[in-house]
Amino acid sequence: MLPTNASSNASLVNIKCSINGAELEVKPGTTIIQAMQDNAQKIAHYCWHPGLSIAGVCRLCMVEIAGNPKVQIACNTVVTEGMKINNTSEKVKDAVKWGLDFHLINHPLDCPICDQAGECGLQDQYMEYGKYTSEMAEKKQKKQKVVDLGPTVVLDSERCILCSRCTRFTDEVSKTHELGIFNRGDHAEIGTHDGKQLDNKYSLNTVDICPVGALTSKDFRFKQRVWYLKESATICNGCSTGCNVNVYFNKEGLFRVKPKYNSEVNGYWMCDEGRTIYKFVNKEARLLKAKQYKDNSWQTEIPAGTAAKEVAQLLKTAQPEEVALVLTGQNTLEEYEALLATFVTTFKTKNIYHWWPQVAQAKDFDGLLLRGDKNPNTNGLLQTFEKFGINTEWPNLEQNLKSGKIKQLVVIGPENLTVYDDLKQKISLFLQAEHLIYVSSVKIAELESREESLEQSLEQSRETLKTVTLLPMKSYIEKAGTFVNYKGLAQTFKKVTTLVSEALTGTELAKLFAGESLKLEVLKAADLLTAVSSTRKDQVTLEHSKKNEFVFNRGRL
Amino acid sequence: MSVITKENKNMWYLPGILTGLGITLKHLVKNLLNKKKMITLNYPEEKYEYSDRFKGNHILTVKKDGAIRCTACMLCATNCPADCITIIASEHPDAHVEKYPINYEIDMLRCVFCGYCEEACPVDAIRLGPEWQTPGLNGANFIYDINHLAYRSQLKGGVQSVVDDEDRNKAGI
Repeated sequence: MLPTNASSNASLVNIKCSINGAELEVKPGTTIIQAMQDNAQKIAHYCWHPGLSIAGVCRLCMVEIAGNPKVQIACNTVVTEGMKINNTSEKVKDAVKWGLDFHLINHPLDCPICDQAGECGLQDQYMEYGKYTSEMAEKKQKKQKVVDLGPTVVLDSERCILCSRCTRFTDEVSKTHELGIFNRGDHAEIGTHDGKQLDNKYSLNTVDICPVGALTSKDFRFKQRVWYLKESATICNGCSTGCNVNVYFNKEGLFRVKPKYNSEVNGYWMCDEGRTIYKFVNKEARLLKAKQYKDNSWQTEIPAGTAAKEVAQLLKTAQPEEVALVLTGQNTLEEYEALLATFVTTFKTKNIYHWWPQVAQAKDFDGLLLRGDKNPNTNGLLQTFEKFGINTEWPNLEQNLKSGKIKQLVVIGPENLTVYDDLKQKISLFLQAEHLIYVSSVKIAELESREESLEQSLEQSRETLKTVTLLPMKSYIEKAGTFVNYKGLAQTFKKVTTLVSEALTGTELAKLFAGESLKLEVLKAADLLTAVSSTRKDQVTLEHSKKNEFVFNRGRL
Repeated sequence: MSVITKENKNMWYLPGILTGLGITLKHLVKNLLNKKKMITLNYPEEKYEYSDRFKGNHILTVKKDGAIRCTACMLCATNCPADCITIIASEHPDAHVEKYPINYEIDMLRCVFCGYCEEACPVDAIRLGPEWQTPGLNGANFIYDINHLAYRSQLKGGVQSVVDDEDRNKAGI
């Protein structure tokens, strides 16, 4: 129906309603469940997801509307003028309790071995509305367990409550249509069509939106119980989209990455590629200490600060035109500014180059989130280059290295090596300098290992090459900063945790290279107190979980 | 440090001391006359018999087929106040078992024998047994692994759990 002038005017006026006694104004067309979510009212639900269409199959979001003889589902009822909504009455609680009982008829008691335990919708609702013993006399319907759905996801049919979120995701968001619900009644189960696999670039979102433990991620499966992990928000550095993500970590490192809602960037989703970003941040992949190649042998286990100060001595004695810096789009805006300021003002050089392997594919876009430029901060780097008036071409660097013009080469290497397939080639180019200072957060097998290829390339450049210094750098998880994404949106993120305490940030390196020393930031007692009190704000307010310090607000649906 | 000297001339502490010595002497004579009623034991020749419910060294129970009962749910490790349990879980080839520990270690020197692990366990996989004399010389291994916890020679092939997968499957749980 096309709106006439009068009705379109009317639709601009907010609608008044009351939810649980609180008077609210909502936009026309808002469903009750949306109104409740927006106003921090608790409501039980499984099948409704703000990023998907409305299915109305779980029958759990029951609300009582004044003047209506029966309870209604909140997800598919639009708020009308003067509506009086209530979901705390005994009638609603009873309806939810019975709805839950039907969901649990065939649900196995798998919680001890289920990965979802601790952030499970069923557990949460059961603690809130249930706490009864089942009244079913029949045995539970047994279904398939550990079904291999594809390269990333494992299905447990028994645990599935058929909310259809995952099938709607593959239909509406990824548009790959792999999943469907097969059979009828209590034989109904999720599955893929014959011979097909759940294999798309966004498949792991189905695991996130699964309210129970039916879909689990192969990568995270059985690695950790979720209550051992802390969660912290940051930006994905997998590509130039800059999706907002939550990373889950403990003292051993990061274990998984989940999307965080941001309407301007990624909505509710993220790609599977971005979920592997934690792998190069963890300690196993990291460069822990500085290393130096000098007089034909490697010296390892050098403290990073000492090595950086040695580099500062080396750079101090060099002529401005002999010094060069190579940057990638994988560092923060603050680091670029500090490094460029040091090189432009202290070393008086403008030999600063941009290492960008995806320059040809930079504009590629898959239509949903994935972009061809695999650097989170290319725009930030280009902005900083503009600010400092740097306009250099990569072939110049190659030429100057070959002719021996550039003698001291500082390379701030990439974190995510999987997208730098030209690494080997580039390193053999860098080795043509007299002194190579390679700063990297991850181990560089090409430089460190005594493979033949390295020996060969060292052999070739032995006449000119004098030292190679490898400096450990903090990964982006360990520092605060700003990424500027593909459309110029600057997103600031906080430090998540420290994994390699000795590693240095780009800002610290810039200071050390310039010959300054680092100062320890001293927090005031008052700041510390506010920091502590603000860390516990995300605790669930449910009575049962108040007592358990491990339960945070991560199980929210 | 300063030493305070105080001239104390009264001797009222003497009666107390003499009474105490008298009690000691009384017990000495009593014990010499009736050795059977003596409270102290000649450990290690004589040993005290604790009840079966004594919370001593841990036992990991086994299923009917002899495989380890533990499902690696990590509730014991979560509940442990001493943080002495380390579990590494893995995928079991049998889909109905699904998850099992490939490594289960208890650091006995950290353990406070509170029994919270036993209380937390949903499948009767861990118990505190009556065994309590487990001394070791310097360098002895006090981090017990699955082999020791479930299959040590004193257990004679393992203690069977009361919760079995087959029974649970039949009962439709």
